[in-house]
Amino acid sequence: MPKLNSARELEHLRERLRQQRQNITKTVMVGGGTCCQASGSRAVIDAVRNELSRQGLEQTIRLCVTGCHGFCEQDPVIVIEPGNIFYCHVSPEDAFEIVYQTVMKGELIERLLYTDPVSGEKCQTETEIPFYKAQDRQVLSQNRMVDPCSIEDYIVAGGYSALARVLNNGITPDKIIKEIKESGLRGRGGGGFPTGRKWQECCEAPGDEKYVICNADEGDPGAYMDRCVLEGNPQLVLEGMMIGGRAVGAHKGYIYVRNEYPLAVEHSRTAVEQARELGLLGNNILGSSFSFDVDIARGGGAFVCGESTALMASVEGKVGEPRAKDVHTVVDGLYHKATTLNNVETWANVPSIILNGSSWFASKGTKGSKGTKILALAGRIKNTGLVEVAMGMSIHEVVFNIGGGAVDGKMIKAVQIGGPSGGCLPVEKFNLPIDFDILADAGSMVGSGGMVVMDERSCMVDVAKYFLNFLQDESCGKCVPCRLGIDRMLEIITDITEGRGKLEQLGLLEELAETVSETALCGLGKTAPNPVLTTLRYFHQEYEAHINERRCPSGVCKALITYWIDPDKCTGCGVCLRGCVHGAITGEKNQQHVIDVHLCQKCGICRSECKFDAIQVVSENEVSRCSST
Amino acid sequence: MQQYVNVTIDGAKIRAIKGTSVLDTAIEYGICIPHLCHVPFISDIGACRLCIVENVVNGRSKVTTSCTLNVEEGMVIWTNTEKIRKLRRNLAELLVAQAPNSRAIQDVAVRCGVKEVRYPFRNEDCVLCGRCIRVCEEIWQARAKGFVGRGKNRHVDYVFGVRPDFCKQCEACIQICPMTIPPCDGPIKDGEEYLCGKCEAQLMITEEMPLGSCSWCKLGEGFGCGRYVGVLK
Repeated sequence: MPKLNSARELEHLRERLRQQRQNITKTVMVGGGTCCQASGSRAVIDAVRNELSRQGLEQTIRLCVTGCHGFCEQDPVIVIEPGNIFYCHVSPEDAFEIVYQTVMKGELIERLLYTDPVSGEKCQTETEIPFYKAQDRQVLSQNRMVDPCSIEDYIVAGGYSALARVLNNGITPDKIIKEIKESGLRGRGGGGFPTGRKWQECCEAPGDEKYVICNADEGDPGAYMDRCVLEGNPQLVLEGMMIGGRAVGAHKGYIYVRNEYPLAVEHSRTAVEQARELGLLGNNILGSSFSFDVDIARGGGAFVCGESTALMASVEGKVGEPRAKDVHTVVDGLYHKATTLNNVETWANVPSIILNGSSWFASKGTKGSKGTKILALAGRIKNTGLVEVAMGMSIHEVVFNIGGGAVDGKMIKAVQIGGPSGGCLPVEKFNLPIDFDILADAGSMVGSGGMVVMDERSCMVDVAKYFLNFLQDESCGKCVPCRLGIDRMLEIITDITEGRGKLEQLGLLEELAETVSETALCGLGKTAPNPVLTTLRYFHQEYEAHINERRCPSGVCKALITYWIDPDKCTGCGVCLRGCVHGAITGEKNQQHVIDVHLCQKCGICRSECKFDAIQVVSENEVSRCSST
Repeated sequence: MQQYVNVTIDGAKIRAIKGTSVLDTAIEYGICIPHLCHVPFISDIGACRLCIVENVVNGRSKVTTSCTLNVEEGMVIWTNTEKIRKLRRNLAELLVAQAPNSRAIQDVAVRCGVKEVRYPFRNEDCVLCGRCIRVCEEIWQARAKGFVGRGKNRHVDYVFGVRPDFCKQCEACIQICPMTIPPCDGPIKDGEEYLCGKCEAQLMITEEMPLGSCSWCKLGEGFGCGRYVGVLK
């Protein structure tokens, strides 16, 4: 394809591509992101492709392999346009039926339709599904119709018109920054720093050579929105970076993406190559004086490299370790030049702000937090997946309306927002909106947007222990509070979960947590105690139960629990006996079975196998009472 | 030509040399900020965090390390507030619990007000202050050793664990290491660690001190306290 030399040529290309696609009557869109592939969408894609070619429909029906559609619970999913028909849990064997019945004849296949677990009704179209209905999809809107490996798709969908407007309509860098400032866009990576102000500071920083960086080093357990955006629509991120580069005066950009996201690496590489081919990256983009190029830098898998200074050290080829940020990276960043670093989602928001104006963006959200935010819903709820909602929606709405509430009829207890840096909020706080400032006041944070929902089966002390364990592994170890502080906090919490805790240790734990958050060198350390602080604040009674009564209320902490067979309920079926890998259960057929506490490893297999709910978790001090009855 | 900026440290108006750190400036003017990983004339990494100060910007105070903070015009710094003392005490407690078998660290801990240690002692040999690495790299240009590993596994080692040919065996790393000075009463046995706290008595100004020793206390002498050099000038 020839290089585009002006915005006019871009429009011509868009028009030509649209005309080429006029004879396509139907589009079958299959999610092909990492999460979809894990559910087996690769085989579905191949089956549909074979089926289309077998029936000779390749010219009129288009198979579009897109990024993640967001509803990962129901993967693999297929959406058929026009008609917006949504099929879930599709298997390769369904390919013939889908192509023959739905695509050719326009008939619905009942069994593949989505059933709403709340009302029990079948949903024909994607928009009817409650999971999608409550969402406000802006950044993710193109994810379901754009093939990430095809720049044509992106151009047909209206891509690069924001860039063309910036370069050819005389929008100066000052105007771009003013627009972003007015929109109220804040960094989506965790900190929530106003993007416009960051750009302004970088723009005003001395020096000719400047850089922009896209931070795609997402490592929070349970969060994957950056991966989905970069995997599903890399051109959108590229366009955002180009506009940002134009605004701050940078000519070079880097996408720092972790190597554990092979598909994101591949797709962003392809995107950069395709953009270069069209002259959208390189010298004199669209005939303007603006030159810009992007390189992909792959991360080696350190969580701490998501921190801006550590990330820049890593791009430079040094050890990924943070440094003191007394001089901000917008002045002294990559290679000691002024650098603007933003998260994937932040960059992806930029083109639509330029196209639709700052007032459009600012009309969504709350006073301090504008626009939409992608959240990764995970944990013990019915609908897990990626959710994009306008800022200001309450946690309750996200968890119950979109997430569908708890599984197995349990009670939801808490939600961990913002990954290891965020905090656990109890159910009483679910009326709080998704808002940077309000959640920060409550001790949590929006962070990157991971939301892990926990029900009554989760022990909050154990949750705090899990995150401390994670952070202890991922801390770089440079500064004392993070390295030793987290280690000591973990030591105290382990004591508590193993029944050696003392009440005065809680005071020490809190003091230590505050010290770490005040004095740590980088953002990882400063936010590391958040899970501890919030669980101490909202679930103090659980800590006290562990210490005073030597009891784990949720029955999770192994040192404090004992498995016990209820003689009234046990039928002697022998399922647990056969299932026990440690040989700890004895009992004759049709007689009551008994667990030998010395052999029991508390793995919980017997409990999940028992159909009569006879195996129960009791605390250590209840054992004598149980055995005496 | 040397440029100057006006800063206020603990209420004292100070004309500081532009480009120097707050820690150096404070030491130059006899304001005591405890520190461990800072050594004069080599770069600062802000690892020990003991030299934290409150930097008041637009009415909001921010806790940051003074060794990595450069002086700027109109800066207002508080080095010894209630909050800072408490944070510093907790940090020193963490350090001394990790490595009680060093006089340098015991002294720093006592100077930061640690009276008892609430964590089990660990008796480690290294607190990862990075002094040896920076001396090797910056003063001797040898780069013979560096940090290896991450988080809990971080330790100081030669490249691939073998002493390389370009190590000049100058022993600068040994001399500058805060762990090489055993406590006054000799090495502490495992399981019997304690803080004697005697050094607290020395925290006073004595006029009979000979030239070249620190005007505030003698604690820093042994491990090359920055203040010691400051008074020499």
